[in-house]
Amino acid sequence: NLESKSVKEEDGIESLLKEEDEYKEAADFSADTAGALKWKEDLTQKAAEAFLRQQQSAPNLRKLVYGAVAEDEEDEGEAGEELGGLFRVSRPDKESKRKADALDCSKFPVEDPQNWDLDEVMDSIRDCFVTGNWEA
Amino acid sequence: MASQPHSLSYVGCNFLRQRLVLSTLSGRPVKIRRIRAKDDNPGLRDFEANFIRLIDKITNGSRIEINQTGTTLYYQPGLLYGGSLEHDCSPNRSIGYYLESLLCLAPFMKHSLRIILRGVTNDQVDPSVDVLKATALPLLKRFGIDGEELELKITRRGMPPKGGGEVIFTCPVKKAVKPVQFTDPGKIKRIRGVAYSVRVSPQIANRIVDSARNILNKFLPDIYIYTDHMKGTSSGKSPGFGLSLVAETTNGVFLSAELASNPQGEGVAVLPEDLGTNCAKLLLEEIYRGGCVDSTNQSLVLLLMTLGQQDVSKVLLGTLSPYTIEFLRHLRSYFQIMFKIEVKPSDEERKGGEKVLMTCVGTGFSNLSKTVK
Repeated sequence: NLESKSVKEEDGIESLLKEEDEYKEAADFSADTAGALKWKEDLTQKAAEAFLRQQQSAPNLRKLVYGAVAEDEEDEGEAGEELGGLFRVSRPDKESKRKADALDCSKFPVEDPQNWDLDEVMDSIRDCFVTGNWEA
Repeated sequence: MASQPHSLSYVGCNFLRQRLVLSTLSGRPVKIRRIRAKDDNPGLRDFEANFIRLIDKITNGSRIEINQTGTTLYYQPGLLYGGSLEHDCSPNRSIGYYLESLLCLAPFMKHSLRIILRGVTNDQVDPSVDVLKATALPLLKRFGIDGEELELKITRRGMPPKGGGEVIFTCPVKKAVKPVQFTDPGKIKRIRGVAYSVRVSPQIANRIVDSARNILNKFLPDIYIYTDHMKGTSSGKSPGFGLSLVAETTNGVFLSAELASNPQGEGVAVLPEDLGTNCAKLLLEEIYRGGCVDSTNQSLVLLLMTLGQQDVSKVLLGTLSPYTIEFLRHLRSYFQIMFKIEVKPSDEERKGGEKVLMTCVGTGFSNLSKTVK
């Protein structure tokens, strides 16, 4: 599963690079013809970033939820432990083990609270209230 | 039984309630191994054993097997029976811990459930009864589980460590759950809250209210926080105070936040002013996360969508909590339901963080235990 994931990621990066090559040619062309249009320079960069952002958020949430199967992974872990004899593979993720015996609670604690005394932070939710702007 | 479905197997004590609740609803037996196997004090804790007793109480014909050390639990669900019951919850977890699961199960009983729960009503860990009353009950109504019977009454308040609180929960029985389209949260029109204090000066509640209002009034004028000072037998056995806040939108969305004082004899004393301010800020965080459902009730709404009639249900949620993510995985293993998950980036600057649109087709679950009239 991990492998396929990394392969996919590589694919993504490769396609990204490809795009970048194509764009470079176009950029060279424009540099030859017209004066330096500065805003065009980092277009590739911007496009790549936007692309990556979308890649990361959209399908990855689904992968995050359904990708890893947490059900009974333990058996493999135990088999691995006996293999070494003297050495023991302690990799079978400690994190999931800790999670397995963690506190059963539905609350979703706020990890890094924002500073709600700042105006900008307060503005970030202004339109959630009836007192904010109403779009048409 | 020959047609006994294949049982599911899990490891560890986390998400115990989800597993048992879904097992009961789907009829699939579940086996949980290695419960705190490496712990100095292995096995089930008393609050978990207490939860299992509660499940046993509301069902008929459940088979529960626990090994000697309490590290392995096998549960074969029976029929949800319901009726008029009483239960003394363990004071180690609040009533909310138990009530959350009852909210999932109550609409699918044979007889409508009326249960008196005793224990801790408000603590720092679980959603309090106040919050569940204000957020979960309206949610049930939206799925067609309503009527006068749907009620959560707080008759006594009890703070940790000793508890002594009491609530009465009644819920009508429904044959099927309506599908919902719940994608527009609307705008917050008012904020309500309860500042409670037991076995401390009643003035404390007023101090909480003032500091919370100071923050929230910057956004909205319509704020009312009730002060609830319970006396005598209805004040439980331990002192404490706290605040729960609920923001209500024009489309009937309820977002909540809450804080409670440290239990007697643990940690430093909390200033009521700080508690009020921090709780107000937590509510703002919750509003930033947004969505049509409060973060504590995400799993409840997803369950009701799964159990709905065979039609498309859509709900807009805020950031998915780790508990919800695990719940989605469990829904897949128990009901073979996978949700369509679409991230909606916040296009407008001033409407908080990213939202997630959840879509699924209900399994057409119908309440087999309910007698046809």
